[in-house]
Amino acid sequence: MVDDPRGPGVTILDHVDPLERLRSAGRRMTDPLETLAQGVAERVLDLIVNALDVNALVQRVDVNALVGRVDVNTLMRHVDVNALLDHVDVSALLGRADVNALLDRVDVGALLSRIDVNDLVGRVDLDTLVEQTDLGAIIAKSSGGAATEALDAARSQAVGLDQFIDRWAQRALRRKRPAPAGPPALLNGQAES
Amino acid sequence: MTAGTDAARSVSAQGQYAGSVSRFLGYAIDLAASSAVFALALAAISYVTKVVTGHEVSWNKGNAIVAVVFVAWEFAYFAYSWAASGRTFGMAVLGIRVVMADGAPVEPRRGVLRALVFPLSFLLCGLGFVGILVQRERRALHDLIAGTAVIYAWDARAARLRFLAR
Repeated sequence: MVDDPRGPGVTILDHVDPLERLRSAGRRMTDPLETLAQGVAERVLDLIVNALDVNALVQRVDVNALVGRVDVNTLMRHVDVNALLDHVDVSALLGRADVNALLDRVDVGALLSRIDVNDLVGRVDLDTLVEQTDLGAIIAKSSGGAATEALDAARSQAVGLDQFIDRWAQRALRRKRPAPAGPPALLNGQAES
Repeated sequence: MTAGTDAARSVSAQGQYAGSVSRFLGYAIDLAASSAVFALALAAISYVTKVVTGHEVSWNKGNAIVAVVFVAWEFAYFAYSWAASGRTFGMAVLGIRVVMADGAPVEPRRGVLRALVFPLSFLLCGLGFVGILVQRERRALHDLIAGTAVIYAWDARAARLRFLAR
């Protein structure tokens, strides 16, 4: 037999765990206790939930304050809207929409009253429009009958004779300053239009 | 001169003082139209009188009543036309209009006043009309008294569209 410098007791302890029995007894005790505690906890939670009035609880929550604390902009920055829209079937969505019902809810009168039609028409270059389209021919056909053309021609001839006589009258009177062409209000109105 | 050039020239004249030829032609048409209406009215009255009473009624130029009624009719014709719209039938044909001296629409009482003093331009040997030629704003005597002027006001825009459409 070889002498162990650490002593005979230490050599035995290398092969035998004196606390093993205690641990085994502890496991036998703790496992049922843990199961029991879990059961008790579940039972207690059930009792609490059953006793809790969720509606009353929700009523006590200030939803506006809660929403006010949410930074929607930050939230939206995290949302990929394009990816979201890729998932939306717009055709199917429009198919479900009742467009007639939607239009019935639109106040067309109020909508039109917000539009400045005069400003809109003022932006249209009528001369260019007439020159580039057949609108001129349509207008000529609708309003340019023989009688209208004859009237225009007669008026134009009268205006021509007026100006001819006026020129001679101005020469005879030897006026240096030209006479006003028309009333100031009308000439200013023409300049504005 | 082409018709298109005429139309373009007349467009530029809109709002300007009307000249003597347009005004004279307008007056001539008015005189013819109002006289025709008056003659038709006399003929209608004669016909009704003949049917009802059986007596022939003839009107002659020397009849004082006819003369007074004719003058009243002419006054009513011109006064109503100028007061209501600033233009008579003849003026509408020639595309001219009576306005206030500053270009505003003619006031009804000014239209009536113009019709009242209109004969003055005739009574002074027609000198009242010389103002259309020599006055800077082409205003006759009755225009100066009533504070009115006559301008070109026909639908020059439609004429321009027709001109462009040619």
